Amino acid sequence: MSETPTLFQRRIIIGAGLCIVAFALVGLRLVHVTLLQSLDGGHAAVAVVARADLTDRNGELLARDLPVKDLYARPRILWDKAEAARGLAVATGADERRLLNGFNNAKNPYVLVARQITPDAEARVMALGMPGLEFEQGAKRYYPDGRNTAQVLGVTDPDGGGVSGLELGLQDKLRKAPGGKVATSIDMRVQFIVADELAKSREKFRAVAAGAIVMDVTSGEVLAMVSLPDFDPNLRRMMPGDSQRNIMVQDVYELGSIFKVFTFAMGLEDRTFRPDDVLTIPKGFRIGKHEIGEAHHMPGSMAARDILAQSSNIGSSQIALRSGGHRQSQFLRSLGLLTPIVTDLPEKAYPLYPRHQWGAIETATVGFGHGISVSPLSFTAALATVVNGGRRIAPTFARQAPGADRRGEQVIRHETSVQMRELLRYVATNGTGRNADTPGYDVGGKTGTAEVPGPNGRYIRNALRSSFAAIFPAHNPRYAVLVLMDQPKATKDTFGFATAGYTAAPQTGRIIQRIAPLLGVPNIPLPTQLAGGPAL
Amino acid sequence: MVRVLNFFCVALMGLSILALYHVSEKTRVAHMELSKVGSRIAQEHSHLSVLETEWGHVASPARIQKLAETRLGMGDTASVQLYSFDLLPRRAENPGPLNNTPVQNASAQIPAAPTALVLPTSHAGM
Repeated sequence: MSETPTLFQRRIIIGAGLCIVAFALVGLRLVHVTLLQSLDGGHAAVAVVARADLTDRNGELLARDLPVKDLYARPRILWDKAEAARGLAVATGADERRLLNGFNNAKNPYVLVARQITPDAEARVMALGMPGLEFEQGAKRYYPDGRNTAQVLGVTDPDGGGVSGLELGLQDKLRKAPGGKVATSIDMRVQFIVADELAKSREKFRAVAAGAIVMDVTSGEVLAMVSLPDFDPNLRRMMPGDSQRNIMVQDVYELGSIFKVFTFAMGLEDRTFRPDDVLTIPKGFRIGKHEIGEAHHMPGSMAARDILAQSSNIGSSQIALRSGGHRQSQFLRSLGLLTPIVTDLPEKAYPLYPRHQWGAIETATVGFGHGISVSPLSFTAALATVVNGGRRIAPTFARQAPGADRRGEQVIRHETSVQMRELLRYVATNGTGRNADTPGYDVGGKTGTAEVPGPNGRYIRNALRSSFAAIFPAHNPRYAVLVLMDQPKATKDTFGFATAGYTAAPQTGRIIQRIAPLLGVPNIPLPTQLAGGPAL
Repeated sequence: MVRVLNFFCVALMGLSILALYHVSEKTRVAHMELSKVGSRIAQEHSHLSVLETEWGHVASPARIQKLAETRLGMGDTASVQLYSFDLLPRRAENPGPLNNTPVQNASAQIPAAPTALVLPTSHAGM
């Protein structure tokens, strides 16, 4: 017996249905508000950081994005455009005429007043009480160490893109981790010491430019790279005398006698001589129509080790000629000296060498470091290869694990490498590198004094380029140091000489004396008497 | 009966609406508080970032060296003045291992050039 609901009953059912729907909606909304709605969807003010920090190998800050603001104006809302331009120019340092032109241009809905304004400037702008101004959060790259690391770190553009140096070379890494840290191989303490000593010497010898590199010979990490003149990366403009050119990687130089290191390594590798073999040193050494001379007086015959110690051009030429031009080019190529070096730095330089003819005269001149130009960084890497046991090393600006060994293929025999360490130590104790010998640190090295070629291809009279390539401790090298001075002038202290033995060598010695304790290089105790203690 | 049920349902709905409004308002206020705290945290992070950078600047080796030279009169230490800590003499008669025994005299004395013997003149003691 089924009865159709009455009208009254149908209304009740419809009302009950509506109530159920209403309760269901309320219930769903309660669940949504209390359980499902995200609570962190607010608009927290987050600083705009586009790039990761750059730190040195010890975690010290080298570069960081700091929050700053860009100021924009909306000309349509400004009450008095001329007064606004005047006030904003005073508050921010912007050009008043540019602002006024921008405000009067009807096409511009927004006019950029100033980028990256400081909190002081922001307060001055706020004090104007002007409508139509908007601040946009941005970031400015700041370099706490200023000039000391400018050339190697490089700079960014106002939009946060890398322009030069590691800022450009490590761009991908820096952009992948905004707010994070990217550790470099640079040691800020070593970098400062090298920059400090180099600046003092550059001033003392009135050199046109100067540069230095400190490299770990086993891991290839560059601990310091300084190039003078430099610039202030925080200023964003160049001052008189500043330069953005990193001469240690962007330029190639005829490095002169420090290249004899490779000539001797090649001769020892080819067993064309032994360090105690005596060679005749004629007054002039003729090759075809060319005659090779010496920079200073040499005895008529010398042991090979003294040829390196006294830096004889003629002796070095003879050793180079024993291996021959083909072998010499192959040997230098195996050390990476005939190709541009690839590192984390975007800057690179192409070496200059005899490409068409590598005959006897070219072999002889390359043997004492003329007729071939390489970048100082390439040279340092090749020196590290020669003394680290003979295995190829590629320089890196990324921090490696402590004790990392990044040595690659064997380029020269281990015995040759050991012999070269002894020879370099001999140069520092008995040769032209005596001024670099630092008591207690067993320094080895080689001086190099090259003439500077002029624009017409001829060498400039009395213009020298002095350099010193050092290793320490020489018996088991951990670090290679290269110091370069472009056109240093003689002083009274140097007895009128501007050669490397009087300019670059003592400077290298001072650098090693200051950085060796920081780097934990063991000091070889000197025979001193301690108060109340035993004689040592 | 139906009238009572209806009244009860409407009252319940009214209460639910009030409860919902209350919860919604509390949530909104909490959300605003959270935004403020988030903003303050971000601002503090920003301040920390600036302070760390300033610290990096004031503690830079260049500034420390300048202060050490001008205020403390310090200079470079020659490598001959450096000495291994293990070889420093101990106060004990027989130097033993480094077991916190105080260092007798930590300053190395570099042998000085012999000084000329000054003989008393005939006027000495007069």
